[in-house]
Amino acid sequence: MPVLALDTSSAVAVAVVEDPRPDGASLRAGNGVLAARRVQEQRRHAELLAPLIVEVLRESGVDRRDLTAVVVGTGPAPFTGLRAGLVTARTFALALGIPVHGISSLDALAAEAASELVLPTGSTVLVATDARRREVYWARYRVTGAAHRGRADSVHDRAGGLGVWQDGPPVVLVAGPGVARPADLATDLADLRPDDAVVGRGAALYAELVPHGDGRRGDGRGGTGGDGTDRDVVDRAGIQDPDPSVLARLALARLASGESLLPTVPLYLRRPDAVPSTSHKRAIG
Amino acid sequence: MADLHAPGTLVLGIETSCDETGVAVVRVGPDATELLFDAVASSMDEHARFGGIIPEIASRAHLEAMVPTVQHALAGAGVGLTDLGAIAVTAGPGLVGPLTVGSAAAKALAVALDVPLYGVNHVIGHAAVDELVHGPFPERLMALVVSGGHSSLLLVDDIVTGVTELGSTLDDAAGEAFDKVGRLLGLPYPGGPHIDRFAREGDPTAIRFPRGLTAAKDQAEHAYDFSFSGLKTAVARWVEARQDAGEEIPLADVAASFAAAVADVLTAKTIAACRRNGIDTLVIGGGFSANSQLRDLAAARCAEAGIELRIPPIRFCTDNGAMIAAVGAAAVRRGLPPSALDLPVDSSMPLESVLV
Repeated sequence: MPVLALDTSSAVAVAVVEDPRPDGASLRAGNGVLAARRVQEQRRHAELLAPLIVEVLRESGVDRRDLTAVVVGTGPAPFTGLRAGLVTARTFALALGIPVHGISSLDALAAEAASELVLPTGSTVLVATDARRREVYWARYRVTGAAHRGRADSVHDRAGGLGVWQDGPPVVLVAGPGVARPADLATDLADLRPDDAVVGRGAALYAELVPHGDGRRGDGRGGTGGDGTDRDVVDRAGIQDPDPSVLARLALARLASGESLLPTVPLYLRRPDAVPSTSHKRAIG
Repeated sequence: MADLHAPGTLVLGIETSCDETGVAVVRVGPDATELLFDAVASSMDEHARFGGIIPEIASRAHLEAMVPTVQHALAGAGVGLTDLGAIAVTAGPGLVGPLTVGSAAAKALAVALDVPLYGVNHVIGHAAVDELVHGPFPERLMALVVSGGHSSLLLVDDIVTGVTELGSTLDDAAGEAFDKVGRLLGLPYPGGPHIDRFAREGDPTAIRFPRGLTAAKDQAEHAYDFSFSGLKTAVARWVEARQDAGEEIPLADVAASFAAAVADVLTAKTIAACRRNGIDTLVIGGGFSANSQLRDLAAARCAEAGIELRIPPIRFCTDNGAMIAAVGAAAVRRGLPPSALDLPVDSSMPLESVLV
């Protein structure tokens, strides 16, 4: 029961992921990812995407007609690349007669952070990605109890992967998504506690997004967890681009918790640059 | 992979170079290509208040229209997606954002259905669509493609493999000049149809506006090129001089005289090109071929010169999927290799490259 997942909100990323439904069987080693590709390219999504889909299908050994769903990141992201991903997902699913599900690309970053950084239940994840024009796309999440349940050793086992999230999504959206200047997120940052995390390319790009600015950051993967006393707040290294396999598992978790179809509405968050025309310009002075 | 050469191959054409989402299905027959259905969704209403096409608005509309328009075209043609044998899509020229939506959709369909993809030239499509309406082309023909974005004169030995660009506009396209003159006359956007309506009630000889690139000195380098920017400025100067003097503007006469200048230059150069190249068939395509003065003058001058004139009905002159499917069908019929899945869109795709 494989799913094709793709995201074009920053890099071009594609994965074929095994769908553990309906019996809830555990995923194979490697989180059920049968094949994945990521190309760090911000401008040529529409050229790279289709060949990457062909590649992951070939490598996974999955016949395209056996896919059960397409999952796509809905941004927020620069418009042209985002649309390339969305229209690809929609038409691909149409052609195969299977459903297409949309998940916010920021949700994927937050979910990955909750699991990978082993953030405790109730802690906060602030996601900030590059919106260009000296702005970031952001959203704020709370880590749920589902983040670690189902893992071999829920908090300390780092080798067991991301888990299946059978009890629902590992994070819930608290605020956003929005687009803002980094300095405008100061209030959100001031509220963060040592167990919380800031992830995404925005955190790496803008010094304003380093809480307290006191150098309490390391390799971004550190921290002992648990008591939260010496945990890094900022993840500056690891979680920067949405992982399509996380998108797929988030979609499956939300579907398992009762939602039927997740809309693929693009999160543009900005209006088109256009002003209504006024009176005509004269040709002569 | 479907057997491309089997008679009856169905080709889906997708067009998204500007504000229209066009999707059509054609059947490649042994002699002729048959149009089964074409569906068009337009975002023009969303652009009118801006006085021009806003690429980002058009792109957003294409994304939302794509799946419904594909479904509409298939339902109208009475076929399913799995019946399709090839996908053709506009690769350029056009607006990058809109082109990208169509291109990505076409690639996804080609991969999902395991059929070949053809990236085709939009401008050539405006000529090729006439094969769906008036039957197969003769061995050689002249094509004049005129629209809001293009004004090109093409010598066609083969609609896919033998297109030579004789000339094109050096500045504004014909339709663009109409929109700009419409704006300075205070007419709503797009101005073309409004000028056409006023022009029918005016005297085309009332004002002698300039004919760009028709002087003897231009014949060496620009015999088949067009220029409408100077004409637009001449109209502006004429109108503003009278406005400044507090005089009434004779809208119908200005419109008729301006339209006459455009139609005169387009047809005179095209007929001359036909004569010098021994061509007896002329196809006029593109949105501006809806212009009535151009149609009338072309008909009169072709009759006089013994040239057969072929102009598709207006709904095939504006942007549509059938024109793209027509080029794709022509490529399939010739057994040409398909495009690569990483084909880029090309906003200024050269006219002599018909396939990517």
